[in-house]
Amino acid sequence: MNLRQGAIVVGIVAFTLAIAILGNVLNIGLGSWAVIFVGVVALLIALNTLTRRHGVRERGTTPDPEHRYRVPIPGAELTEAVDQFRSRRGDLFAPSNRIQDGLREAAIAALTRFQGLTPSTANERIEDGSWTDDPYAAAFLSPTIDPPERPLRERLTDRFVRDVSFRDSVRRTAAAVAAVGYTGLEADDRRESRVATYERGTVEEHEPVPRTTRTSVDGVVERASRRTGHWVGIGVVALIAISIGAFAESSAIVMAGTVGIAYAGFAHAMEAPTPDITIERTLSEETPEPGDEIDVEVTITNESNRLLPDLRFVDGVPAGLAVTDEGTARLGTALRPDESVTFEYTVTARRGRHVFDPALAFTRDLSRSSEKEFLVGSSTAVTCEPVLRPITTSVPLRATAATFSGRLTTPEGGSGTQFHSVREYRKNDPLNRIDWNRHARTGELATLQFHEERAARVLVLVDARKANYLAPEPDAAHAVDRSVAAAGRIAATLLEDGDTVGLAAIGPLDKREEREDDEDVEQCWLGPSSGHHHRAQFQQLLATHPQFSTLSPPKSRRWTPQLQRIYRRLSSDTQIILLTPLCDRVSSDIVRWLDARGYAVTVVSPDPTTDRTTGNQLARVARRIRQFDLQRAGVPVVDWPADQSIDEAFARINAGSGVSSSSASTAGSTAGTDSRADAGATSKTGGQGKSGGATR
Amino acid sequence: MTTDELTRRPALISSAVAAAGAILAVVASGYASLPGLALAVAGASFLALGLARGTNSAIDVACLLLFAGVLASGYEGDSVELALLGTVGTVVAWDLGQSAIDLGEQLGREARTTRLEAVHAASSAIVGLGAITIGYTLYVFAADGQPVAAVALLLAAAGLITIGFGVRNRRSREPRRGGSRYS
Repeated sequence: MNLRQGAIVVGIVAFTLAIAILGNVLNIGLGSWAVIFVGVVALLIALNTLTRRHGVRERGTTPDPEHRYRVPIPGAELTEAVDQFRSRRGDLFAPSNRIQDGLREAAIAALTRFQGLTPSTANERIEDGSWTDDPYAAAFLSPTIDPPERPLRERLTDRFVRDVSFRDSVRRTAAAVAAVGYTGLEADDRRESRVATYERGTVEEHEPVPRTTRTSVDGVVERASRRTGHWVGIGVVALIAISIGAFAESSAIVMAGTVGIAYAGFAHAMEAPTPDITIERTLSEETPEPGDEIDVEVTITNESNRLLPDLRFVDGVPAGLAVTDEGTARLGTALRPDESVTFEYTVTARRGRHVFDPALAFTRDLSRSSEKEFLVGSSTAVTCEPVLRPITTSVPLRATAATFSGRLTTPEGGSGTQFHSVREYRKNDPLNRIDWNRHARTGELATLQFHEERAARVLVLVDARKANYLAPEPDAAHAVDRSVAAAGRIAATLLEDGDTVGLAAIGPLDKREEREDDEDVEQCWLGPSSGHHHRAQFQQLLATHPQFSTLSPPKSRRWTPQLQRIYRRLSSDTQIILLTPLCDRVSSDIVRWLDARGYAVTVVSPDPTTDRTTGNQLARVARRIRQFDLQRAGVPVVDWPADQSIDEAFARINAGSGVSSSSASTAGSTAGTDSRADAGATSKTGGQGKSGGATR
Repeated sequence: MTTDELTRRPALISSAVAAAGAILAVVASGYASLPGLALAVAGASFLALGLARGTNSAIDVACLLLFAGVLASGYEGDSVELALLGTVGTVVAWDLGQSAIDLGEQLGREARTTRLEAVHAASSAIVGLGAITIGYTLYVFAADGQPVAAVALLLAAAGLITIGFGVRNRRSREPRRGGSRYS
């Protein structure tokens, strides 16, 4: 306020003086106090403005709706990755102790699983350091071993930068644990290069989803208004020029200053307009298949009778969709009254229901010195249902079956196509089952038995907890997406084979859909059944049920009540295919919970892990250990690497077990033989995993 | 990161217009004086740097140097016409340079912005031409034979009053939201 009044008062005084000089009332010689006065005032103002100039410029930030929203990578945070191994809980430890403690347990876990040691021998190995070739790693976990002398350079940096040697030890130890944990996954001579980068792991500030606003927007809503500070300083520079001109008696310099003053006036003349615009989106397809490219055509119309000199527009591409390469959902333009402009971009369809966010529009006045920010609503939605294309190979099921006929070959003898055994003739055996060859040879009557073929009753259970929104790269397909896609394909395969399939999920019920139909969402449940209608329902649920949302839910939710609800609805002869990435303790708890209640569970596990950083490596080892433990407990686990299709993963399991999945599951009817068969199959899985890993 | 990242770099057309403005300033200041040429060339290279890097402060420095060049040449050559042209060139370079960075940050290079940039360039140039016309008219008719001090005082008065009202404008704004500040 003071500055303003001061400037105006001084300006008026200067004006009066100028008039006085011009009218010869006052006659001041040049170089006298008037010029000095002007110069000093100009300089003071210049200094004042220049000191406040820093950070005075502002512009609205735009989000990046073009790329898909990002999910974390397993083991992004080192302490969390380490904590997965720790049995003892408690945050009393200092972080460094926690890491050391966790790594020690990780080493023991890996050694007992993958090298067949008992916990006590593993402990001894760690104590004497013989578990690894890396002397630093050995010394890090054992208090009795002295680490080898570090190179001079490292010792010097250690003086100045704390933690250098600690970090190095952590990296090396994690790599050594990983070397044990990946047994056979990678060639041993690449060991040194596998020491990953140390990232303490800052949990990234995740961008808000949706990008613009969560509330529904109708028409044009102003969100912010600001001065851009585009011209700040020009008046000051102009005044300086004028005062220099006055000192130097140079009319050229004074004239140069006048130009600056003209621009300064221009800067304050206008105000950013509030646009009266409408947008209209046209999609080339509203119900595409996943992977299809949809052309989005956006038409912006200026409905007012005023010119919009500066309009910057960022469309609200749904967070689950990505704009294809070299495309952009942005436009900068000027719009005359009633004029419209159209721009296009292409998005790749992904599964799910995607609602366009309100678009973001910025307007500026002609001089660009003020900016307003608006949200422009226009509801457009894309629903993309997964394709229920059957998998080329059969689904590895377990030997539990319902009472209806189907394709699952059971261990029981009866009618069927595959030979099972011969038994004595009993009265009322059908004539076509009598072994007439034997009757001709020996005169005895015997009855042929075939493997009974029955339908399996399967529940496809998707573990869609918040913790499972994980991917090897931030914007790659995450584990839940892959699980849901696989669920659709597994169901298609089983339905085609005449089995009955149901669908359920564990995961938060997303309340994000507030802006749309605000009804209470229920946990997903579709009882095992078959038929066209059922198939359509299945497909629709996978596409639209909020539990299968492709966007990470805002909150996690307790899983036990959900599981109990499923348990109450499930008949005991149903077998479960659980789709989970196995990246946290809870996932294996869920498997154990179901297993303990007598369900035949098969785990299909999309692998979201990677090994870029130390934390990533540890997360991968932890997942392998979980997988190993489940297999040891008799639950078959299908490991599904990120670079393979589900067909390949199943084909590997089916080929790895040496026999077709159906006969593999007929290997024995008692629990003992059954689990042995599974163990056999899973050990093959490990072998296959080795070859798969070596190529990576 | 990935390939679908936006290229948040200064918009091309605005950058080109800014460069043209800078060249005009260099020519106008280099015509009459050698120090003016040196200053202006230094300014132009700073501008190139600022546009390549997308840094606002480099553009500020560049245009101050350009303007210093114009002033130096005005002092030595005392050609009002060249000084006016040079100043307009400098201001256009400053204006469009910053606009290019803002546009690059907000919309990226991939977006279609031709029309917007054309409007920017035109508005900036038209204001410049208007300023030249008024300034030159003032010089030729009104200020001819008048003491420079009076003219300077008049202009200072106009400038101060403009700034005074500008300050009020800025102060009366509601609190800023959602924008990023930068210097």
